[in-house]
Amino acid sequence: MSMKGTIVAFCCQHSGYPAADLAGKLGLGSPEALRIIRVPCAGRVDVIHMLRAFEKGASAVAVLGCEEGACHHITGNTRAKERVEQCSMLLKEIGIDGRRVVMFRLSPNAPRKFVDVTNEIEMAAESQGRQDDNR
Amino acid sequence: MEVRAGVFLCNCGGALKNIDFDAVASEMAGIPGVASVHVSSDLCLAPARDRMISCIREENLNRVVVAACSPELTEYPLRRTVQSAGLNGHMLSMANIREQCSWAHEGDVTGKAVELVKMAISRARLLQPVEEVEVGVERSVLVVGGGFAAVNVGLLLAAAGLRITLVESTGTSGSDGQELGSIHGFDIGSLVTAAERDQNIEVLTSARVVTVEGAIGDFTVTISREGKNMARKYGAIVLATGSRIELALATDSDSSAEYQGIGGTNVVSQDQLVERLSRPASGVKPATLAFMVDFADESTRFSTLATLGNALAVRKVWDSEVYVFCRDVKVDSQGAERLYREARDRGVVFVKCPAAPRITSDNGRVMVEAKDVLLGEDITVACDLLVAEAVLYPDPATAALGSVLGVRLDEKGFYQENNVHLYPVASERKGVFFVGTCRGQSDVGRVMNDISSVVINIKDLLSSGKIMVESERVKVDSEKCVACLTCIRVCPHAAIELRGTEGGKEKAVVSDLGCHACGICVAICPAKAIEFQDYRDDQILAQIEAVG
Amino acid sequence: MIIAERKPIAEITRALAPYKNVLVAGCGTCVAVCWAGGEKEVGVLASQLRLARGAEGSQISIMETTVERQCEKEMVTDLKDRMAEVDAVLSLACGAGVQTMAEIFDDKPVFPAVNTTFIGRPEREGMWVEMCGACGDCYLDRTGGVCPVVRCAKGLMNGPCGGTRKGGKCEIDPDKDCAWVLIYRRLEKQNRLDLMREYCAPKNFRAVKRPGRVQAGKA
Repeated sequence: MSMKGTIVAFCCQHSGYPAADLAGKLGLGSPEALRIIRVPCAGRVDVIHMLRAFEKGASAVAVLGCEEGACHHITGNTRAKERVEQCSMLLKEIGIDGRRVVMFRLSPNAPRKFVDVTNEIEMAAESQGRQDDNR
Repeated sequence: MEVRAGVFLCNCGGALKNIDFDAVASEMAGIPGVASVHVSSDLCLAPARDRMISCIREENLNRVVVAACSPELTEYPLRRTVQSAGLNGHMLSMANIREQCSWAHEGDVTGKAVELVKMAISRARLLQPVEEVEVGVERSVLVVGGGFAAVNVGLLLAAAGLRITLVESTGTSGSDGQELGSIHGFDIGSLVTAAERDQNIEVLTSARVVTVEGAIGDFTVTISREGKNMARKYGAIVLATGSRIELALATDSDSSAEYQGIGGTNVVSQDQLVERLSRPASGVKPATLAFMVDFADESTRFSTLATLGNALAVRKVWDSEVYVFCRDVKVDSQGAERLYREARDRGVVFVKCPAAPRITSDNGRVMVEAKDVLLGEDITVACDLLVAEAVLYPDPATAALGSVLGVRLDEKGFYQENNVHLYPVASERKGVFFVGTCRGQSDVGRVMNDISSVVINIKDLLSSGKIMVESERVKVDSEKCVACLTCIRVCPHAAIELRGTEGGKEKAVVSDLGCHACGICVAICPAKAIEFQDYRDDQILAQIEAVG
Repeated sequence: MIIAERKPIAEITRALAPYKNVLVAGCGTCVAVCWAGGEKEVGVLASQLRLARGAEGSQISIMETTVERQCEKEMVTDLKDRMAEVDAVLSLACGAGVQTMAEIFDDKPVFPAVNTTFIGRPEREGMWVEMCGACGDCYLDRTGGVCPVVRCAKGLMNGPCGGTRKGGKCEIDPDKDCAWVLIYRRLEKQNRLDLMREYCAPKNFRAVKRPGRVQAGKA
């Protein structure tokens, strides 16, 4: 399966999205392959959004939400985590590495964490891609 | 209707040098639905905004796509700009080509910029308008509780011209008065009398809140009193139900037995101490007195303030030797530092201990053994009176009332603030507020701030009798809704209810007033019956389709 | 309502292996509410099938639709116009829906994507439990509204069996409450414990002819 290398990241406007903005402002480098989709809460993101991103050729999908216990809408980040796990299982079922979909929790003022996390996702996707090619 | 989107690219004063704006503009021209493309250098300034307005009108645009800095900064002002051009503010779609593109990467990022703008255009095609409407609100407030915070909030809101109902579960109001009176000089009695006399305030004692329906501006509350239920309407609800204080007689089970064995009259609460101080010289004056401050609950301010105030009072009235045993003295409440210094000047001895002291009795006196951190030694103080640490616990009715109101509790069982720093008096349900010790706040100075905060919030909200609200931004399609109750159970803000529709059947209805537009209900609805403008499934999927 | 559960994906992909144009049809009633076969699940399953085919290097063309109630012939018949291109149907409905689809479109293979499991209700978010066994001879009146046919592991009519574990749990399945303890407590609360002394004759399972048939309006 050809993975084009894009990373689709659903970023909630209370955490991931402002963290991404801050990372850019500070000139910290995140992967160019990142395509960020802004959502009001990580809890808005559903499994179908993640799967469609893979159908479009994304090599990894990330959901960035608020820290544990800090979701502005209380349960949004928990629901997002459950859906990411569900998506991971659905991918595994059809022979795609379930680690390609991930959830990360961070604060809006954590630009370094944003950068670390997104770079980590890119590296993991690359090595998974190499594994898939070798199969 | 044909989509006519105007694409406005901003190069941020020419600073976004790693994007070739001409190339981006030429890529846009061929895209279906794009009526025009404009490059600007300062969309944040008035002249460019005015040009945008002219473009919208002259070119008959029905969508506006802006590729510029982060929507976190510019979405709101741009919506207003679009609105002033005669187009609904929600017909705006943005691409973040600055913070998340030009600034985020080295080297040429024209390709990524093009993709981001295409994503925004794909979304723009599917946007629909959301109208803002004026809605009437009830100019009345329900205050649950009858203590210091409740009565103060009631009086201040009544003075603002709002109708207040004070609901108190016991037979009388002002039960928390004593400590406050003694320490801070508040006369709760006169406050209660003022409330009872105020024409805008209705005081209902021996009453309970049974159900709460509706949303901010339009709550329907059922109050039960003396076996009868009454339904009332309120624009806002304030919970000021207080807490209860228990004496921390022991921090471990071994010493509690000791405490019990000592004898009731030698171990007292702050209240009881104040009572004894106020009695004329009857009974023996204690030669030595000890206070326990913060071993059971380090976050308390009440115990600290009470101790400092009462320690000074004891020195003045009885001239006893006073020892204060604590882990540390928390002086961040207003005036506390001064009281601490004064107490030390007046000879109160503060003993800082790493762990709770051991309390025993010997010959009718209370023996306090503790390790003194500064001396590095164990010391024992024999006292005639021990003032035990007071710990704040939630009032027993807190949990039940919280579930009637649809608001959450924190891990200690007090009401959970919406945001500890930013919205400390608001709950996660719009229009429901908390003040005072029921949210675990025991510092009177801060409670006064809470009270002012709530009063300002509610005055702002209800005084004019009208508020602007986005109409049907999140809407349930009653044809598709199967009334499975999932969204109602899942909404973190208690903004969805089951209501009879035109067809007669009960379906889920989202309250425009109470909705926080988080989209959690939208994602979970098994029948996909809820539409959330700006974040609809098709709008999100369209962005994904435009990637790569 | 009817509760169903999606089949293992391998079963579904194996069934669809020879087909290139598939209609994936969900149902908007019971299976939608128990998160097994509604519009959402249609979207997710279709996406998975496309990804799976893509990973194999082949293609599949999927038409997605959700019928409000797949057991209603009229509603299923509405799909007729779209069937020309379709060479197989994957139905996410319960058995009644699958069979209706299969009957109306009898020239196309219709495959079930879910296993219909029981009649039940939600216990908490995302969890459904069996409540009724559709035995055709209901006597919930005698058991205080607790059904021993499904909720008693042994299906006893005159329980308890005497093997109830501590805490009122079933001898066979310690995670289950003993149905007869529940029955006892319910009848005790209503002061109708005398019902437990009445002998209940064995159920006549032949009273339910298969396939069952009900005619409204007949005595």
